[in-house]
Amino acid sequence: MRKLFESVLPFFLGAPGLLWQILFFYLPLVCIFIMSSGSFSYFYPFLNSLYARVILRSLLLAGATTGITLCMAYPTAYFLAFFAQRLKTFLLFLIILPFCTNFLLHVIAWFFVLEQHGLINTFLLNLHIINSPLQLLNNVFAVILMMVYYYLPFMVLPIYAVLEKFDYKVIEASLDLGATWYQTLARVVIPLTIPGIQAGMFLVFVPAFGEFAIPELMGGDTMMFVGTVVSYYILGSRTAHLGASFTLISVVVLIISMCTLYGITEWIRGKR
Amino acid sequence: MNRNFLFSGITFYTLMVYLFLYIPTIVLVLFSFNTVAFPAPWQGFTLHWYYELYHSPHLWHAFYVSCTVALLSMALSTIMGVFFVFYAIQGGKVEEFLLLFYGNLIIPEIVVAVGLLTFFSLCSIPLGIATLVIAHTVLGLGYVVPLLYTRFRELDYRLIEASLDLGASPLQTFFKITLPLLKPSLVAACLLIFIISFDDFVLSYFCAGSSMQTLPLYILSTARTGISPVVNALSTVLLVLSSALVLILCSLNARSRIF
Repeated sequence: MRKLFESVLPFFLGAPGLLWQILFFYLPLVCIFIMSSGSFSYFYPFLNSLYARVILRSLLLAGATTGITLCMAYPTAYFLAFFAQRLKTFLLFLIILPFCTNFLLHVIAWFFVLEQHGLINTFLLNLHIINSPLQLLNNVFAVILMMVYYYLPFMVLPIYAVLEKFDYKVIEASLDLGATWYQTLARVVIPLTIPGIQAGMFLVFVPAFGEFAIPELMGGDTMMFVGTVVSYYILGSRTAHLGASFTLISVVVLIISMCTLYGITEWIRGKR
Repeated sequence: MNRNFLFSGITFYTLMVYLFLYIPTIVLVLFSFNTVAFPAPWQGFTLHWYYELYHSPHLWHAFYVSCTVALLSMALSTIMGVFFVFYAIQGGKVEEFLLLFYGNLIIPEIVVAVGLLTFFSLCSIPLGIATLVIAHTVLGLGYVVPLLYTRFRELDYRLIEASLDLGASPLQTFFKITLPLLKPSLVAACLLIFIISFDDFVLSYFCAGSSMQTLPLYILSTARTGISPVVNALSTVLLVLSSALVLILCSLNARSRIF
């Protein structure tokens, strides 16, 4: 009896977590499917124009964000891992802090920098480089800037985690054996840190694709992205089924593009 | 020579990245002490906006809602996470189940939010604090289960075996050996979930309904109507609060490595 108790009890203790995950994560995904059924036909006429363009634009935005953050994050993580020494903990803290504060605060902070009377315009006007304030808000530039700003820590942290465990002697060995810095980076360091880059890619590309608050706040209502369209349909009174089917279509596109990106990085790793 | 060049290049680059990260925040904090509202330049030092912030009833209500939701979802997801790991320790076949929790990484938050919203409306569950807690717990589970499980796998399993050999029951072993060993990771995971739930915007935006307002939703509504220095003051307070939390997190991180 006791034996039975001890073999069954752990399962019942472990079950709620599983149940919660299935009930409130996977069942809702099925609900989207049920909700959308029958309304896919609405999208056939649009698939080659409006909605396809929205999805493409979101893919481009997510791709640009991932690319730019990668270019900014890699040298930073490299510095943190190998050169920072005593400042390391403090600099790491400065990276984690924006990751743990609400992104709306950062959006508001950038308003102060980019506005007509903001930091950049005041600075340039005072130096007489420009005569009238630049229009820096409500355009693609502002959206990408904000996305890069917000997602940068998500890219730095996983790359840093991999580089921190990296044996610096490997780099020294490569240099001693006559490889140049460029060769060492391209053939030794980057292929060995691909797992970190992949983790960062997942952490940036996936949420960036569905982002709806940043485009709306920084881009005005000039451009529609997947997130904007979905939130507009879902929160509208009679368009929930349209929102559901659009969500499904974009998830499929997202998964396909993630697999492609993953394949490309794996190919780079395999190629040395 | 070549090496020094590379070193100074990377240092300069990193400095630029940090300036990019922190200049807006510094401006934001500075202007919370300015006597006049934003478009005007710097006039003088004041704490008036903090005083006004302290006396804003809407803000306190939003803060209260956010804290309640964050604490509840933190408790729920941590308890469920710990018991799930307990099941794994007792020899449960969890590898396949574990994959279920990685779904949170591949599916964007907005899709989960849309799914939950349709789920709630299909089951006609009214939106409110309960739905917010449900949503944030899903978010928390996605972090806490993989994290705790990885740390558990890295434990010295001989300690657990020794305890079992010396006659402790599985429950005793779990509470006296495994849990104390996992404690740093557990505290770090709790803190992380609290921060994530407290700052979460997407799930709250969809699952809060019209009557509930969490702190991020409150900030959004004020930001849309035009920025008053009160928002700057609020941001400064939140920055200080999250710095404190992150400091604790960083000191724990040395032992539990969540980043």
